[in-house]
Amino acid sequence: MLEHADIKRILPHRHPILQVDRVLELDPGNRIVATKAVTGAEPCYVGLPAEAPASAYAYPVSLLVESLGQAGGILWLHTAAQRAEPVTGTLIFGSARDLTLTGHAYPGDVLRHVVHLELVKGDNAFMRGETWVGDTRIATVGEILAVLRQDTTLVPA
Amino acid sequence: MIETSVQKEDLREIVAEVLEVDTDELTDTDDFVEVYEADSLRAIEILARIEKKYKVEIPQSELAKMLNLDAVCEVVARYVGT
Repeated sequence: MLEHADIKRILPHRHPILQVDRVLELDPGNRIVATKAVTGAEPCYVGLPAEAPASAYAYPVSLLVESLGQAGGILWLHTAAQRAEPVTGTLIFGSARDLTLTGHAYPGDVLRHVVHLELVKGDNAFMRGETWVGDTRIATVGEILAVLRQDTTLVPA
Repeated sequence: MIETSVQKEDLREIVAEVLEVDTDELTDTDDFVEVYEADSLRAIEILARIEKKYKVEIPQSELAKMLNLDAVCEVVARYVGT
């Protein structure tokens, strides 16, 4: 199990965009189970009027996929560190394919991501994953690509 | 099933899916970057899918040559079934 302090040593992300709270299981090179608690205090809910409908509090899909991707990032980087194959560069979300949404998360829910590492090709990692709230699967992502790029190759768009 | 011979139409399907175009839109010779707006991420996705389908390892350095479908066929043929 990895706690929040451990996660911050693995991922470069910081508040408020660090979207993983705790790692429950980690099988290096293979699979991770990680959680993120959604609360009403999330920055994404700032400014919602009192009369906003319940549906306005569905956790944004972009953040949900980011959170899933970060769980995968922990799996990848932790695996690399354990195998003494240190990686360098900035961790970047590359792409997500085959995203299926089958539910929503609301303040008070705990997202539980299960991510599998499928293939590492140099500075690129391919993963797939699911997000659960309790016994309900709310999202499936068929392919997530995360990459590491040297800062010198990153230029403003 | 592991493929042991390289069929251009199989590769066309893989590339078209990654570049999000119809298979009949993807020609043999048009440049992936210039015509289909591919970038380095799409390129690595194509490579990964080919490796998965043919159970081969193709060095990333080959990507520089894989500029259109014909070139992809040439590179992949060198690694598959040898």
